[in-house]
Amino acid sequence: MTGGAISNPLSPAWRWFSRRMWWMEHAFERARASGKAEDDTRLRIFFVLALFSAGFVTLGLGASKAALFSGLGHAGDYVAMPPNARADLVDRNGQILAMDLIHYGLYIDPHEIADPKGTAAALEAVLPGIVPARLDKSLAGDRREYVIGGLTPELRTQVHDLALAGVSFEEESARSYPLAQTAAHVIGFSGKDGQGLAGAEKALDGEIRSAAGKGPVSLAIDLRVQGALQDELDRAASAHSAIGGTGLVVNVRTGEILGMASYPAYDPNDAATADQDHMTNHVAATVYEPGSVFKVFTLAMGLDAGVANVNTMLDARTPLALGGQTIHDYDKDNAMLPLWEVFTHSSNIGSARLGMMCGPSRMERYFKSFGLFAAAPSELKESAWPIINRKLTDNVVASMSFGHAISVTPLSLATGMSAILNGGVYRPLTIRKLEPGQAPVAGRRVIQASTSRTMLNLMRLNVTNGTGGKANIPGYRVGGKTGSAEKAIGGHYQRNLLVSSFAAIFPTDGPLEQDRYFVLIMLDQPKATAETFGFATGGWTAAPAAGRVIERIGPLLGVQRVVLPGETGAKPPVDPKALTGDEQ
Amino acid sequence: MILAGVSSIFGQRIRGFRVVDLLALTVLLALAFGVYAFKTLAGRESADIADVQHQIVDEQKRVRLLKAEIAHLEDPSRIERLSTQYLGLKPVDAKREAAAEALPQIAGQAAVAAPPAAVQPAAKPALVKP
Repeated sequence: MTGGAISNPLSPAWRWFSRRMWWMEHAFERARASGKAEDDTRLRIFFVLALFSAGFVTLGLGASKAALFSGLGHAGDYVAMPPNARADLVDRNGQILAMDLIHYGLYIDPHEIADPKGTAAALEAVLPGIVPARLDKSLAGDRREYVIGGLTPELRTQVHDLALAGVSFEEESARSYPLAQTAAHVIGFSGKDGQGLAGAEKALDGEIRSAAGKGPVSLAIDLRVQGALQDELDRAASAHSAIGGTGLVVNVRTGEILGMASYPAYDPNDAATADQDHMTNHVAATVYEPGSVFKVFTLAMGLDAGVANVNTMLDARTPLALGGQTIHDYDKDNAMLPLWEVFTHSSNIGSARLGMMCGPSRMERYFKSFGLFAAAPSELKESAWPIINRKLTDNVVASMSFGHAISVTPLSLATGMSAILNGGVYRPLTIRKLEPGQAPVAGRRVIQASTSRTMLNLMRLNVTNGTGGKANIPGYRVGGKTGSAEKAIGGHYQRNLLVSSFAAIFPTDGPLEQDRYFVLIMLDQPKATAETFGFATGGWTAAPAAGRVIERIGPLLGVQRVVLPGETGAKPPVDPKALTGDEQ
Repeated sequence: MILAGVSSIFGQRIRGFRVVDLLALTVLLALAFGVYAFKTLAGRESADIADVQHQIVDEQKRVRLLKAEIAHLEDPSRIERLSTQYLGLKPVDAKREAAAEALPQIAGQAAVAAPPAAVQPAAKPALVKP
């Protein structure tokens, strides 16, 4: 028995089947032995008949199924995606930003063309983008050749209507950006092979490609906000003949980027021929010495560390001489200033003194936590690293306190400031839309909630009583900080070449956890105009633009307008006691 | 009785052919014809379905093109330009905005500030000669 088990190590089912077959094979002998040989023959005939019947029934059922349920009705459900297919990109409200469209490639078969010159002339008249040399080569060739691609259906129809022999078309999928320059930098563009090359197209490349044919990929931007931001940035940059500019709108609670603009812009449909500088997203890829907007970080550090409070007096009576440099104030107040006035007067001396009171190690710790010593954590691959001094000497600490001796991207600046203004939590800004009910990333706490509240109050004070008055849009409780950094060229600061900026936040009141919007406008080398009385500083160039952006986007974002008494009149009295936040 | 009746049918012959064979042949021919007819009809339907599917795909392409065109036409910068150029639109002043619940209060203030002017009788329309 043991031997049998070894010789037949198969499953019980197989053993049963073998036994049955064996029984069938020996049925004839058994029938003859029992004297009923005809029973055996009948049994075999029945068995063969049963097998054939089963086979025919199976085939019949299969044929019926194939005839009746052939699946023709579902033929449209499956659409073969071309290898370069990408999902549509839409804004947070579902507005199309980028999509694949069927275009046409034009082919020429010279064997079918009797009049090559006439064909060439007709095609060149309808298709200005056609390369004559390539066309001539195809016409003189000996096989069918691809001549030009990306033809829209209208162009195809126009060529088709010429009724040219030997000219044919083949469908091809091409990426299209129907908004042209609007949101060009945040959308980016992709190559003909379907590979994302810039902006969201590159940042979310895998997601966009894998979602092809399934559904759109939503970005956080709001096209209406983007339109207003871009329009006002263009207007301000043109009015002040700036060589560049950046604009950003962020919901500081969620970290979503609602608008991102870089000036000058380009058309991603013509990315191949666009100017490299125009294609650069200056928000993420260009570093600037930010100037006085950086005082927000210095004050947040000083207040949060307990080194100072809003009433701490700082000596701004005389310029501060440090090593090889002397720090001056733009407004020469020559006075002892309380900290809140250091902010509203944008005193470089006062900020430098506060920075030095904090010291290099504390500054390094805080500024690192604000993300200022690294590239902004963003999906955008363009996000550039800052230029910082390796060693934080007294000189560097003092300079960094008012936004010199460090160059960061506007994106880094916005990420850090969002943390200061959202209750104190640092979280990366995102170009991805957060679905309703979806919580933003947890982030990490970098300052206390009470410090965040104090900073909101100081920002508001700077707009009602300080340098940011031109952004004071009635009803929106706007806060903000101006910045006017002299550009360093060849190692020397140029007094007349500024990077002027305004970092705004609105509304500054209400619970810390509510939606609150950060608006940044930065102009590279703006020129003074008659309207600005010869000034090209942030308060005169960027602040009004930021104000106009807020005025336009406020209603779109659902911010309730509350016109406070006396808001449009004289400056309200300052109550320093009311500035300090008491949140836990 | 029934068995005997059935076996008699199986045993009957017409011109040498068993009745049951003739019946089977008739059924077979009917089935073959039926399958052919249905298959032909189904083929026609299939062609129609394929045609409709083709139309759907074409329409889908057209819809996508139109969507792109709508996106282009609704470009905020374009709308902005047109609304400023042709309609003279601009953002509403904050003073002109009020919540619905504040309307009674505003109406009360307006009534105190400026009582309505006395209603003047309508001027007689000038006579127009036919």
